Amino acid sequence: MTCADVQRVLPEIIDAGGDLEFEAHLKSCPACSELVNELEWIAAESRELAGSEDPPDRVWVRVSNQLRAEGIIRDQVDTSARPVVVPSPARRWNAWWLAPVVAGILAVGSYELAHRSAPASPQVAQHPSQQRQVIPSPQPPQNNLQAAKQGEASPATNQQTRLARHVLAKLTPNPAPTNQAEISPPASEEDAQFLSEVSQRAPTMRVTYEKQLRAVNEEIRETLEYIKLHPEDLDARQHLLETYQQKALLYQMALDRIQ
Amino acid sequence: MDRRQRTNVVTVVLVAFLVSVAIAETKKEFKYTVGRNANVSVDTQYGAISVRPGSNSEVIVHATVQSDKAEIDSQQRGNRIEVISHFAPGLDQQTARVDYEILVPADATVSLRSSTGPLSAEHLQGDLSLEGTDAVVDIRNVSNGHVHVTTMRGPVTLTDVSNGHVEISSISGDVTLKSVTGPLVQANSGSGKISYDGDFGSGGDYKFTTHTGDIVAVVPANVSADFSAHSMLGKVQNDFPLEPRHTRLSFDEGRAFFGTVGKAASAVVLRSFSGRIRLKQQAALK
Repeated sequence: MTCADVQRVLPEIIDAGGDLEFEAHLKSCPACSELVNELEWIAAESRELAGSEDPPDRVWVRVSNQLRAEGIIRDQVDTSARPVVVPSPARRWNAWWLAPVVAGILAVGSYELAHRSAPASPQVAQHPSQQRQVIPSPQPPQNNLQAAKQGEASPATNQQTRLARHVLAKLTPNPAPTNQAEISPPASEEDAQFLSEVSQRAPTMRVTYEKQLRAVNEEIRETLEYIKLHPEDLDARQHLLETYQQKALLYQMALDRIQ
Repeated sequence: MDRRQRTNVVTVVLVAFLVSVAIAETKKEFKYTVGRNANVSVDTQYGAISVRPGSNSEVIVHATVQSDKAEIDSQQRGNRIEVISHFAPGLDQQTARVDYEILVPADATVSLRSSTGPLSAEHLQGDLSLEGTDAVVDIRNVSNGHVHVTTMRGPVTLTDVSNGHVEISSISGDVTLKSVTGPLVQANSGSGKISYDGDFGSGGDYKFTTHTGDIVAVVPANVSADFSAHSMLGKVQNDFPLEPRHTRLSFDEGRAFFGTVGKAASAVVLRSFSGRIRLKQQAALK
């Protein structure tokens, strides 16, 4: 049995185990042995993942593209060449990933409430305009946001992310350096994902949710600007937390409706 | 003569239309026997839900369905009744609409959810949870139960609600509270207005917060409360001669007031980012 033979039959025997010829090759080939060990670890880890939480679509798209590039999976139906790690066809996409996002938003709000920032340059606070403008999500300090979100991300979500990155690293000849931002995307990307999910699940509500989301983000931005000028104002910090709670409420209402 | 004929034609057409609409509607009824403190949950994407007290041991669900492609999934699990509307893809808001009128024991715990609403509940004594995106929410004569309301844009009105925890959250809907008292009353709206008309009871904690919406509290002269009002960028106005209360923080003039009236039985906190806060005295009865 050659290395090419091993890779061809690997998807079928990764769980069931191989025959004597397969085992003999593993003993004589360190590369194939290491590959089998890694894939067995991946298979074991994936079984422990909570069924109700899935990584984003883009992760699976990249995995399947890479597997297709490696020739492990093919476009036509071929029962003899199953991919190594694929989502179950029966597994239904759900939006429960929004739950840790909601928790992350609240965590950021709590962090902002507790953190004392240095006063900004002496400018008179402008009265916020009554007209809502198209303004992207407020950008808290990146490291703080990531720290808050990492602290609040569920263990299963972190595990899935590590697992997916591990698979990609093994399948890609020169894996891209892991980017901290991939683990904890900025708020605007979360909002984009949120609206994308709403568009798919409840397209008639997209405009409404987008408008409300912009309004809430504007409120957060205004409050953050005020706090920069008045860091001693505890009411403002409490208000910031409540505004983040409003955003979390918006996410939660959408989550309840699009499930 | 021509006008009379035209009128008759219009009348006939109108009657035919109404009859066709009535025929298209389908009414269904579900009855369940329950014990004390039953739990009733109703979820419809589009449609009105109203809940009133009925028999102490029975839950009766009257549903009006606009299209035969909308289904009702109603089931009982022990002392819990769950009613959910489903509809096939492609239906619009009108054809997918299912309206409910529900009779429950007065002590039942009720949970209602509808995107369009309206949602209404009256003369109940159990816990209430109402959620609506654009639904108009109206709660009347509820006592001894916790009331929890969440809307995105839908206005919320509570009238004669007492002796329970009240929590209202709305992204941009107006909140109107008339004669609402309890150990804990909280209302939060981003851009909606909060209006309170009552006496703040005795021994309760009240907190109203907005971002840009105004807060107006109209109270009688014999109110007994400790008031704390602060608008970060808006103005505050007070009609009462408050007994000053020391506060360790300093605020810009016209942005805050603190003080007590009477024996300060209840604590009232009014907060807004840029909305106007006004504490008004009720006009004396003539």
